[in-house]
Amino acid sequence: MVGDEMKYQSFIGLEVHIHLLTRTKAFCSCKAAFGDEPNTNVCPVCMGYPGVLPALNGEAMRMAATVALALDCALSSRTWFERKQYFYPDMPKNYQISQFASPVGVGGHVDIPARDGAVKRIRIKECHLEEDAGKMIHTGTMSLIDYNRAGTSLLEIVTEPDFETGAEAEVYIQQLRRMVRYLGVCDGNMEEGSLRCDANVSVNLSGAGLGRKVEIKNLNSSRFVRLGLDYEIERQMEVLEKGGTVRQETRLWNENRDQTEPMRSKESANDYRFFPEPDLPVFVADGAFTESVRAGLVELPYVREHRLIADYGLSEEQASFICGERAGADWFEAAVAESIRLGVDRSIAAGRVAVWLSTDVKRVLNRDGLDASSLAACRMTGARMAAIVALVATGRISGTIARQVFDAVLAEDAEPIDIVLARGWELDVDPESIDRAVDAAFSSEASAVAGALAAMSSGNHGKARSLGSFLVGKAIAASGGKAEPGLIKAAVDRRLAAAASHAEQGARA
Amino acid sequence: MMQSVYPDGFRAYFDAWEARIGSFLEYDAQLLETAARQAAGSSSLSDDADVAGLPFGVKDNIAVAGMQLSCGSRLLDGFISPYSATSVTKLMGAGAVPVGKMNMDEFGMGSSTDGSAFKRTNNPWDTDRVAGGSSGGPAAAVAAGLVPFALGSDTGGSVRQPANFCGVVGLKPTYGAVSRFGLVAYASSLETVGVLADTAWRARAAFMAMRGQDELDQTSAEWPAGAPGDRRHGGCMVAPMTIGVLSEGAATLEPEVAFGFDEAKSALKAQGHRIVDIELPSLTYAVPAYYTIATAEASANLARFDGIRYGNRPQYSDNPEELVDKTRGRGFGDEVKLRILLGTFVLRSGFQDRYYLRAQRIRAGIRHDFERVLHGCDAILMPVFPTRAFGRGEDGLSPFAQKVADVFTCCANLAGLPALAFPTGVAGGLPVGVQLVGPAFGEGALLDIAEAYEATHPIARPVGYQSWWGTK
Repeated sequence: MVGDEMKYQSFIGLEVHIHLLTRTKAFCSCKAAFGDEPNTNVCPVCMGYPGVLPALNGEAMRMAATVALALDCALSSRTWFERKQYFYPDMPKNYQISQFASPVGVGGHVDIPARDGAVKRIRIKECHLEEDAGKMIHTGTMSLIDYNRAGTSLLEIVTEPDFETGAEAEVYIQQLRRMVRYLGVCDGNMEEGSLRCDANVSVNLSGAGLGRKVEIKNLNSSRFVRLGLDYEIERQMEVLEKGGTVRQETRLWNENRDQTEPMRSKESANDYRFFPEPDLPVFVADGAFTESVRAGLVELPYVREHRLIADYGLSEEQASFICGERAGADWFEAAVAESIRLGVDRSIAAGRVAVWLSTDVKRVLNRDGLDASSLAACRMTGARMAAIVALVATGRISGTIARQVFDAVLAEDAEPIDIVLARGWELDVDPESIDRAVDAAFSSEASAVAGALAAMSSGNHGKARSLGSFLVGKAIAASGGKAEPGLIKAAVDRRLAAAASHAEQGARA
Repeated sequence: MMQSVYPDGFRAYFDAWEARIGSFLEYDAQLLETAARQAAGSSSLSDDADVAGLPFGVKDNIAVAGMQLSCGSRLLDGFISPYSATSVTKLMGAGAVPVGKMNMDEFGMGSSTDGSAFKRTNNPWDTDRVAGGSSGGPAAAVAAGLVPFALGSDTGGSVRQPANFCGVVGLKPTYGAVSRFGLVAYASSLETVGVLADTAWRARAAFMAMRGQDELDQTSAEWPAGAPGDRRHGGCMVAPMTIGVLSEGAATLEPEVAFGFDEAKSALKAQGHRIVDIELPSLTYAVPAYYTIATAEASANLARFDGIRYGNRPQYSDNPEELVDKTRGRGFGDEVKLRILLGTFVLRSGFQDRYYLRAQRIRAGIRHDFERVLHGCDAILMPVFPTRAFGRGEDGLSPFAQKVADVFTCCANLAGLPALAFPTGVAGGLPVGVQLVGPAFGEGALLDIAEAYEATHPIARPVGYQSWWGTK
């Protein structure tokens, strides 16, 4: 295969459709929700009744422009729509309002991680806004159509043929999915079709440019994108290797057989007969629109990851985990900021919060069938997390107690400090109490003290350490478990050192 | 036998006329009679109640909730609209009452109304002749006095030509001045909802009630605050204006039409207007450009009629594709099929530059021509149609000749400008008239000229006409 890979070159271009999370459809005021009872979110406009006209949803335009901007596209100051004509029973007007000559954005790019730790730049050809069709279901002798989805806003994001492998395409899809979720313009759910991916694949002798293009459909998970494209590249190479030519066609990914299969194709290619939609005026972006688009831009996941690494000294893995969902990263940063405000050292705060997030917080979310995207609504707010971190860092509670506080916050929706105080979980840090507890341990365990001192003078550090720990445990027990362990340990160490030096001086004298 | 007392005679009057002219496809006799009685009861109309209480007819391609919306097509026979057009809603808001749906050429494609799938509409002046089209039903009904005004649609002359044939006033507003929401689209970038009325005064009243921006039609525009002519003259003389007269194409006019045109020109001059000659060279290309754009848009606009969600369809089909094929094959008439095919042809990829885009360039040239001319005058005086109402069969006009004859009307649609057709007299027993084209949102000035003209040259009515609706 290695030989073939050098002999041949593969080109993949992706067309990703995302459903924009607009409240209403792209060209009418119907609710944009398609899980509902069939044909309930419809009106004369999205049903293509005689005499109705489309009215552009400004929210759809704003979201489309935001995505285009996030992909570094140039925004068109004047955009318009075209009619893309073809007959299909689930398309009410038998033309789709789409964009052809003036997409919302053109000429962008995204960087994806490449094999050797470098990045690869993928060029974005264009982003254009269009409407979706309904859904046709065939049952026995009948064909039924649900128009709830008809007229909902779709943004099509088209790349140049810059990918070479299924893996690259998979990474791009994952990255794009995370990006649109960050922007809050799409839920990114591929299983439900909120994010759909079609691909164009061609293979040719290296250096000979693009080969004959095959379109692959039905790639409805990022994994299928990888598997389907790798399969298709392999298939085309084999065809060429055998001296054949690749047929220009549309193929479907069959997830049950792990292969692409030719789609039944009509004899002639569709001529969509695009022409400008006369029912919609040219959209001219004014200052207020541009402002709202910029306001919709957030720090993108890739950028945020790098900032978190730089700002908090996180590892790449930690940063990537935290930035998986915008709500997760927001929660993290809020928790760290509050911890710092409460006096915790910056890198300690970040490290502790990161650990909490990847262990206990994750465990609780998994238990409830949630993910980091729902953290904004979690009882364990960033501020409460910070309070727990600060309580531990200042020695007011132990790590074990911290776990219990964490569970109590979730169960009772109460503030950590209130829980600690109400339950008397706060550690005793009063110097006199500490001294009293250490006094008690030293007097009741005199042989251990003597043993420790002997071990110290004979240089047996291991034994000295274990006897010291023993004394710490006894001192904590003497306090009823309430004394702060760090302070107890410091006091025990201090007292042993003093006794040792006293004995040494005595011996010298 | 005692003659029935006005207004109780309205029903008989209506029935007798309607039997002869066939203008309605559906009407509510009760509503009509009530409206006639009310109109008779109020001795004079006030400015505040221009259209209040008046019945009006609606061309059957404009939606009225609960009424049919057939567009003169078998495909939509029996289809009841679930909603009303904005133009209708606005008129209803002003107190007017829609009383029925009126005959038309199928989907507005034609110049005679003989293209209706349902019935013929005859000209009230001579029932052997057509009422014109495609708004033939509205024109005939208004001319016979069955309603004081009616809504039509004008894509290339479909309000003005039938108004001209029947001797009533026909206004095609500025593109965007009246919402198109609820008007079944034929050629979206060209057409407007228009008014056919018994007088210019009435046309203005109806127009004022229905114009203005509509959020349901994003191509509609706010009526500009400074636009001329909202005052009602009631026949008072208007300030003299400069009227450009188009003499080109005069040779193509029927002698009676040419004579009527010259008379109107002289009469306008006599009223103090300054008459200047103008030229619109780009007019030569208007008809081909018009049919290219109109059919291109129609091929897309009519694609929705597939029988799947509404409309007449075969009882059984093997698959959805066959359902669509049969629905359209049986539902559309020949002229509609011809225009869909033409539109599909001109939009083919690789041929757009030769047809569709070229037509758009011509359109820009025509718009520019009008702008240039209207820079130097207030309105342009033009013929409406080269002939008076034509007959049928051998006395008819071939479909091709009918299209060629759209030259004087379709140019205003290409330019998006307001145009007003009004009757100026009778020649050989048939009405003749002229049209005025003005700058965008210049409807008021056009109506001013027509209203003043009407004051000295009262509109002639067909034999048997009775006035039921009062005028100002």
